Amino acid sequence: MSQMLKIKDQVLGSRLFTGTGKFSDTETMVKTIKASGTALVTVALRRFHKDSAADDLYGPLSELDNVHIMPNTSGAMNAREAVNAAMLGRELTESPFIKLEIHPNPHHLLPDAIETYEAAKILVAEGFWVMPYIPADPVLAKRLEDIGCASVMPLGSPIGSGQGIEVREMIRLIVRDSSIPVVVDAGIRSPSDAAAAMEMGVDAVLVNSAIAAAENPEAMAIAFAMGVEAGRAAYEAGLMSRSREAVHTSPLTSFLAGGSV
Amino acid sequence: MSITLPQWLDPLPWIHYSKDAEEGQVRQALDAAAPGEKELSTLLSPAARPFIEAMAQRARTLTRRHIGRTIGLYAPLYLSSHCPGGCTYCGFASDRENERHSLSAKEAAHEMAAMSAMKLDEVLLLTGERTPKFDFHHLKPFIEMAARQFDLVGIEVFPMDEAEYRELAGAGCTSVTLYQETYDAAQYDRYHRWGPKKNYLNRIDAPARALSGGLRYVGMGALLGLSDPIYDMLALYRHARYLQKKYWKAGISISFPRIQPQRGDFQPDYMVDDTYLAQIIFAFRIVMPEVQLVLSTRESQAFRDGMAGVGVSKMSVASKTTVGGYSDDAGYEESQFQISDDRDVETFCEMLKSKDLEPVFKNWDTVYRDGAEY
Repeated sequence: MSQMLKIKDQVLGSRLFTGTGKFSDTETMVKTIKASGTALVTVALRRFHKDSAADDLYGPLSELDNVHIMPNTSGAMNAREAVNAAMLGRELTESPFIKLEIHPNPHHLLPDAIETYEAAKILVAEGFWVMPYIPADPVLAKRLEDIGCASVMPLGSPIGSGQGIEVREMIRLIVRDSSIPVVVDAGIRSPSDAAAAMEMGVDAVLVNSAIAAAENPEAMAIAFAMGVEAGRAAYEAGLMSRSREAVHTSPLTSFLAGGSV
Repeated sequence: MSITLPQWLDPLPWIHYSKDAEEGQVRQALDAAAPGEKELSTLLSPAARPFIEAMAQRARTLTRRHIGRTIGLYAPLYLSSHCPGGCTYCGFASDRENERHSLSAKEAAHEMAAMSAMKLDEVLLLTGERTPKFDFHHLKPFIEMAARQFDLVGIEVFPMDEAEYRELAGAGCTSVTLYQETYDAAQYDRYHRWGPKKNYLNRIDAPARALSGGLRYVGMGALLGLSDPIYDMLALYRHARYLQKKYWKAGISISFPRIQPQRGDFQPDYMVDDTYLAQIIFAFRIVMPEVQLVLSTRESQAFRDGMAGVGVSKMSVASKTTVGGYSDDAGYEESQFQISDDRDVETFCEMLKSKDLEPVFKNWDTVYRDGAEY
């Protein structure tokens, strides 16, 4: 049994977080979320549609047991819009979680570090559990931790790119130095990518496109859950060092033992 | 009148890739890591036509990855058929003899109520070119009215100056659609016989003015058939890329309107058949994987059904191109173009669902409009 993940006051039973976009229908989305075993799902505020049940993503999610909802601010171009969206999201869901994402460019969807930092300050003061989606920048991650964010969510590669973890060394530094949970968000294509992230010691991964765009999203969700479990278990078990092969000779240090140089 | 296209727009240096393309170049274009003008030109060539299935497969994969298994839905709302323009191909051209109407506030309210009842949440307001009968000060109150009812309000109207666009953004307008019709300046001059639209460069610059003025999304397109489609599509691509570089926050969508024979017996110079239109759309998805590609109800049911999710990610639905067409209380008859796909929202959504595509009505929120305060 792996160690439990806790974000602020909430213990979460799974280290796989899922998104809700890009699914072919709500039924598939719900089945997939259930199959993934996730305890935290994020949903874009712009996809809340209280006047139209058929078009509303939030309604069916709110009925799921043991799944916490994390509204996200996708669509916000700056701190002010993100804060407005977060406030509205909390009003509608009563969830303390907020996935803070500010991507001014609607095409590559890369996060704006400056606006994200400004919005995080305000939202933390307003009592949110702020989960910012950020570039994999170890300094920014610490700055966000310092102001009270609940976690940091560095990207592995651009959203929807399926490139896996392209910024491995940056993620490693973030994990090493962070005192709050680190969640790799975006870029993960396969369960092996997710496992690789978990083996590095990240606390959770957030996967959307790779599941929703799979031929069989429900089956892929199960595969991701296994990948995340395996990766985490491997991390906790302690991976063998890469350089454990015996070193037969010590040409540079043999003199220390009185040998000839 | 002769116009020199600005260097950032001119497609001529890339046309030859299309003319010279052979099978090998098409394969290279399909495999390119970062496709651009050269690849687009190649994929638009006759040599690429045998690769249409491979292009479709690629387009569907990219659409799923970047947009999802979803189709965004919207519908146009014609506010006015008054137009001083002399566009040869248009049903609202000023020398057409049909009657002209503009909606009253009350009629517009009925139209919007009828559209809301159809569950629509994105509306595109349309007019003709600027005329004293329908000018900026007529338009703005309709935007304010629509913004109270719909999360996303767009306009497809006459080009404006930056200050006007800014005022409309403040009134709740999020997107501007403005087709250049054709990027071929000589053909443009020929088809636009009189009126304010005769000014090619003023129209070219309008999307940039809209983005400067604070609008978020621009819809672009060329009316296929007016000139060589390869020329037009390359210029359109270059125009879009230029805007993305200059306005890095801009959201771009590309539409693929195709000229239909209209009253006045207008026949286009270039025929774009279904296969070629599909080829064009797949090529755009391959070179611009992240943008919304839009297909309207001008196209047939069969074509729209086949393209949904395979490149195309956004579609109009249940459109009326007559002024007062949704609520029927006005009962005006003149229409800008003929609708080919007249299915209602429910029927259209059933089709999407049968193809494992989710119809999305609301993909925006008023919380993201400028002017809101925290």
